[in-house]
Amino acid sequence: MRILALPPEAPPMLRRLTSGLRRAALGAGALGVAAFAPQIARAATVHVTVAYYSAATGPYFKQMAAAFEKTHPGTTIKIDVVNWNNLQQVLQTDVSGGVPPDISIIGTRWLLSFVKDGIAEPLDSFMTPAFRNRFIPVFLKPGEIGGKVYGLPIAASARALFYNKTLLTKAGFPNGPKTWNDVIAAAKKIKAMGAYGFGLQGKEIETDVYWYYALWSYGGHLMGANGKVAFDSAAGVKALTLYKTMVDQGLTEPGVTNYTREDLQNLFKQGRLGMVITAPFLIGQIAKEAPKLAYGIVPVPTGTVQSTYAVTDSIVMFKASKVKKQAWQFLDFLFTKDNRVLFNKNEGFLPTTRAVAADPYFQDNKQLQVFVNLLPKAHFAPVIRGWENVAKAVIDAVQSVYLGKAQPAAALKTAATSADRALAQ
Amino acid sequence: MTASARRAFAPRMLIAPSFVLALFIIAYPFFDIARMSVYHVSRFGILGGFAGLANFRRIFADPVFIATVWRTLVWTGAVVSGTILVSLPVSLVLNENFHGQGLARTLVMLPWSVSLTMSAIVWLWSFDANHGMINATLQSIGVLRQPVQWMARASTAFPIEILVGILVSVPFVVTIFLGGLSSIPSDIYEAARIDGAGRVQQFWRLTLPLLRPFISLAVVLNVIYVFNSFPIIWVMTQGGPAEGTQILVTYLYELAFRLGRPGEAAAVSLAMLAILMVFTTIYVRMQMRSAEP
Amino acid sequence: MNERNWRKSLLCWLVLSPLILTTLFPFAVMISTALKPAADVLAYPPRWLPSRFDWGNFVAMWKAANFGVALLNSLIVSLGSTALAILVSVPAAYALARHSFVGRGFYRQFLLFTQMLSPILLVIGLFRLAASIPWGNGTLVNTRIGLIVPYAAFQIAFAVWMLSSYFATIPRDLEEAAWLEGCGKVRAVLRVFLPLALPAMAVTAIFTFINGWNEFAVALTMLRSPSKRTLTVQVVNLVAGRYSIEWNQVMAATLAATLPVAALFAWLQRYLVKGLALGAVK
Repeated sequence: MRILALPPEAPPMLRRLTSGLRRAALGAGALGVAAFAPQIARAATVHVTVAYYSAATGPYFKQMAAAFEKTHPGTTIKIDVVNWNNLQQVLQTDVSGGVPPDISIIGTRWLLSFVKDGIAEPLDSFMTPAFRNRFIPVFLKPGEIGGKVYGLPIAASARALFYNKTLLTKAGFPNGPKTWNDVIAAAKKIKAMGAYGFGLQGKEIETDVYWYYALWSYGGHLMGANGKVAFDSAAGVKALTLYKTMVDQGLTEPGVTNYTREDLQNLFKQGRLGMVITAPFLIGQIAKEAPKLAYGIVPVPTGTVQSTYAVTDSIVMFKASKVKKQAWQFLDFLFTKDNRVLFNKNEGFLPTTRAVAADPYFQDNKQLQVFVNLLPKAHFAPVIRGWENVAKAVIDAVQSVYLGKAQPAAALKTAATSADRALAQ
Repeated sequence: MTASARRAFAPRMLIAPSFVLALFIIAYPFFDIARMSVYHVSRFGILGGFAGLANFRRIFADPVFIATVWRTLVWTGAVVSGTILVSLPVSLVLNENFHGQGLARTLVMLPWSVSLTMSAIVWLWSFDANHGMINATLQSIGVLRQPVQWMARASTAFPIEILVGILVSVPFVVTIFLGGLSSIPSDIYEAARIDGAGRVQQFWRLTLPLLRPFISLAVVLNVIYVFNSFPIIWVMTQGGPAEGTQILVTYLYELAFRLGRPGEAAAVSLAMLAILMVFTTIYVRMQMRSAEP
Repeated sequence: MNERNWRKSLLCWLVLSPLILTTLFPFAVMISTALKPAADVLAYPPRWLPSRFDWGNFVAMWKAANFGVALLNSLIVSLGSTALAILVSVPAAYALARHSFVGRGFYRQFLLFTQMLSPILLVIGLFRLAASIPWGNGTLVNTRIGLIVPYAAFQIAFAVWMLSSYFATIPRDLEEAAWLEGCGKVRAVLRVFLPLALPAMAVTAIFTFINGWNEFAVALTMLRSPSKRTLTVQVVNLVAGRYSIEWNQVMAATLAATLPVAALFAWLQRYLVKGLALGAVK
């Protein structure tokens, strides 16, 4: 089953706009003014928009909603599951139409726009010190803007390199590659065996990120101290030249601009790809779809330094919400230990709270530990307004280099110019 | 009430419901776009200060926009002319009386029954480099030795998108042409035969001129539809790689919903509308002029 | 039939074969993939024939895409918008076909203009409009009526064009004869004109139905809860932004969404052409 089952009765999502007040008014009329406050509480419906992570996402949140409603009579939780591709559009139109949900999952990289436009509600007034203390600080930080917390880390992942043990053992790297030179040496051998060496993503979301792995590994940075982009550096050129060389020597899959992250993961599951850098959720997919595959996980290869990309998704409350109290109660409920453990197990994300991290399932999980251990060296996407424009410029640049339409240095320069122009606006 | 006013009253009442409904749906969104195009607008459609023509200046300064305008013209021109070129002979054949004519007509119309979005999804899957049936078939009959990465570069992806565009446009145009052909009385062909005109001559002298109004209609409607068509390119390549298949609609969608620049997206909408209006005005005028004896 | 006719038929099919093969290709792909078990779908190299026929994909897809509900929604929205579009377009088309009046040219220009505005350009404005109109306990957002009205509005131009050029071919004398027999003008229209106009209305209705059935951008924006989503939105949801795409289910869904319309086409094909023959250009 892919998406949520049909709720028995689904009234228009915008019911809350009027229904709370209307029912309250009716109630007041019928029962007298004394009944006013309880009536509001009884009518509260919390609209929650969640991102589709996997087939398990919808059922999980439905289950949470049902459990919450049981202990909070009078509050109804309505869950809408939206695909990542549409999530931004859905929230944008909802807000511009004046009918946002009460809480929603968003990409943390969008958070700044939500805060600057006054759409997200600061959560500090709801948070007790004990609640704040539930989180692993490094994951709470990206949701903090101007000293206030706007987003809670609902999902977190970091990146590491998955390698096919059979192929890499034959290539002489039974424990996986450590440096880019190892990657190249192994890929050459794997190519001779008729498989693809290094999986290089060249299409759609996170095509830019795939190049940041190399950029950071050479000590490069995305943004400079002056608020302008800094990826057109020597490290940037080196990183892009590295990838381009691998493309030219046939050490990657052919036609890299035809491969999304999911396509690479599929190649890997089929045993046709030697190495791929991706998130921990591939572990779960392999267990389900290719249980016989022998593979290992090692840190992202180093150029001059060790690094990785860490990313969180945030759950935010909307300023326009009329049921903030109930919405907060639901958030509080979501971030209790057992609920979080279940979510992280389902989706293959890293623990964002201390209690979950201490759970034996995660403590004893060697594969996940590779990712967790990388966190101190992790880079997050910079919190700047209009970040999508920078990502877009980078994607255009790396794609034209992979396609042989531009040289690394020139392409990065063009991207930097256009990204800076977009950021200046 | 004067006589002429009274005469105009009844027809105006008759068109009123449709006019009001269309206006009701279109007026506000159109006003919304026009307003956003001259304001600074946040990602969430919140209006900032008056921007004058800044949004327009910005898109015209964007090299991607300029390249996209040209590509959109190529896309529209190629799909529409390709559709007409395929549809003409196909309609001529389908207009003949032959065994299985009804079946043939149904088969030609078939793509119409699949929504554009779903068509694009199926074709994307068919052209998948590793698991798609195009590569599999071409390899099994020996045309290809290695799988081709069709969507990896614009030089293969864009022509494929144009072909898919043609394929899904053919049914509509064939239907129009068949309608046109069946409205041509058959006795004029007999007269032409008696005068000694061959089949080729009949086509150039009779069929084509008589079909002209139908061809014009097909061209105008198709230009509008294809120019504004979103699903094929969005599903198959999202305008990539490296902007190589971007057309104006996908560019606009990206500006509005991915890059958070609705003001500029609104400016693109108006630019698109202007291009279409210029085209239809010129085309309709040219057709009217050449239609005069 | 004689031999000459057979040879001609063969020639006709030969000329059509490239196009027909291309047309059938996606259907072959849909059927092939829809019947494959998951392991076959990503097998390399891929093969046309499944290792075994996995009809379970249809069951899985039916659940995953909430297919039954989506089918009903698509039907309601398409039929509703068709009915509304025809209802307002028939009088307008009659006016255009029978009367010349001041404002006629303007009205035609206006219709052309509405055709040039693709819904995708207007989608944010449409959403804001819907969000500002109270309906039931909420607004028109996430309601089927919120789709029916704009769909109908965008169909008016085409419907009026087709209907009016068809209406113009219906001889005026018939109505005039009815007047002479003492029929009122309105009754003459209802008794004499409308029955003759029915085929044109049917053909126009098919067009508007198909367009509503296939629309995507507005439906994606307006509909939120799974109980309201249409087929197109649900099928695309199986593909867009998923960490893994189950192509066998996706193809099963496209196939199941396509077959009803394809059958409708096969059945109505000859009427379609006939309707357009009279209607398309005047």
